[in-house]
Amino acid sequence: MAEPVRVQYQEELEQLEKSALEGLGMVSAALDRTLEAVEHQDVELAQLVIADDDRIDGRYLEVHQSLIALLAMQSPVATDLRLISALLHVLKNIERMGDQCVNVCKMIPLTGTEPPADEEMVKRILTMGRQTRTIIGQAKRAFEERDIEMARDLVRQDDVVDNLNRECFGLALEIGDDADKREWAMTMLLAARAIERIGDNAVDIGEQVAFVVTGLFREFEDASHPQ
Amino acid sequence: MATDESRAETGREAREAAAERAAIAVRPEFRSPSGGKKEKVFELNGVDVLYSGVTAVKGISLDIQRKDVTAMIGPSGCGKSTLLRCFNRMNDLIPGAEVRGELLYHGEDLYGPNVDPVQVRKLIGMVFQKPNPFPKSIYDNVAFGPRILGNKEGLEETVERALRRAALWDEVKDRLDDNAFGLSGGQQQRLCIARCIAVEPDTILMDEPCSALDPISTGKIEDLMIELKEEFSIVIVTHNMQQAARVSDRTAFLMVELDADEQNRWGRLVEYDETEKIFTNPADKRTEDYVSGKVG
Repeated sequence: MAEPVRVQYQEELEQLEKSALEGLGMVSAALDRTLEAVEHQDVELAQLVIADDDRIDGRYLEVHQSLIALLAMQSPVATDLRLISALLHVLKNIERMGDQCVNVCKMIPLTGTEPPADEEMVKRILTMGRQTRTIIGQAKRAFEERDIEMARDLVRQDDVVDNLNRECFGLALEIGDDADKREWAMTMLLAARAIERIGDNAVDIGEQVAFVVTGLFREFEDASHPQ
Repeated sequence: MATDESRAETGREAREAAAERAAIAVRPEFRSPSGGKKEKVFELNGVDVLYSGVTAVKGISLDIQRKDVTAMIGPSGCGKSTLLRCFNRMNDLIPGAEVRGELLYHGEDLYGPNVDPVQVRKLIGMVFQKPNPFPKSIYDNVAFGPRILGNKEGLEETVERALRRAALWDEVKDRLDDNAFGLSGGQQQRLCIARCIAVEPDTILMDEPCSALDPISTGKIEDLMIELKEEFSIVIVTHNMQQAARVSDRTAFLMVELDADEQNRWGRLVEYDETEKIFTNPADKRTEDYVSGKVG
């Protein structure tokens, strides 16, 4: 009896969701290169990541503008409205994740050309990065599949990253009195912190999944009132 | 030491108070001013409306709350206007129309044997889709109702008050004797609202009151509705989804239901809830599809 209408609008919204979430793929690729640059102290590759961040920013601006136009011209409501609101959040998260990769890459020239002062710390940062990459993939899948449980599981996955970040902090404290080594450790700590923030952004995307599905926004974890 | 303990206590209390405030903020009954218990104007229990034995709307049960704007939305033929006309017994004027079930107005049976339909229509006024001023002066249009009811004392004040409440006074005060047909469509509709409220009704029914108006006139009527609900209960039928979202506190969604062999159709209430809920997170998929414009 009921014929689907506004098909073009629906297709446009679906396409915008796809474009926004592709941004997560772009962030994953940037993170891969960032980790490679960290591992090999590859300044050239780091420069490439910094330059390529314009693509992530471009995607953000393009999809953001299209979503605003859709809001103005199609007056979306209910699930569509929640989806658009969530996508606007997710876009911001993606843009921030890209910026954090840039932040890490900017550190690489500062770490010098000498071998790392602490191999263990580099190892932990690389593990953090790989775990964060898994989290990004899971956030994307949870959004695509509107899977709240998968989204909630991001918190558990992110705890691994947080713990590694704390371990890096402990290693930095024990680096010794050598001024160069301490400077190296401080720089690496900032890199670890940037990667840790990427994980947090992925958890935020998970919270938006729950909002799209239930209509209620709840933080999975409240940083100001930890359990 | 004692000071430290009391500080700790204060901190904990502050956190608990904050948590309580947060809990209140998300509890549905606190989300909207209309969420709490309000006096009911109408109570419908299993209302059916039939035209010459053919069911037009079936099994409608809902409460209309006092000083709320209640919107009724749904596709053409779902029985919104039919249902609206039950509220002031307008269907009595249609031969063969029959209302079954219970329809209470302030707890009294609106269709009881001792109820005078004329009195009902004084208390429950109606504004129609197309402005329908009488072929009289602006003044006489508004004075018409009070005169019929014999309220001739202070008639000028009554007319001015009604025109002011309908946000039309400033535009017509210098030409009250002009023919009402000389007004624009939007002004004519506000004149009809003034005519309706001149007899001090309790409820105003509006059947697509803006569908013949331009966006500016529509905006004025919508502003007016929000002002009028301070004094009156308003029930509005509209095809304009955004209008329902903008002006109403609660929204009822009706749709057409077919019998097994698709020979007979009637209107059914699908969902009735706070407007914010209907437009952000409706409970029923059919409501979602309709308000999103996905299904016609």
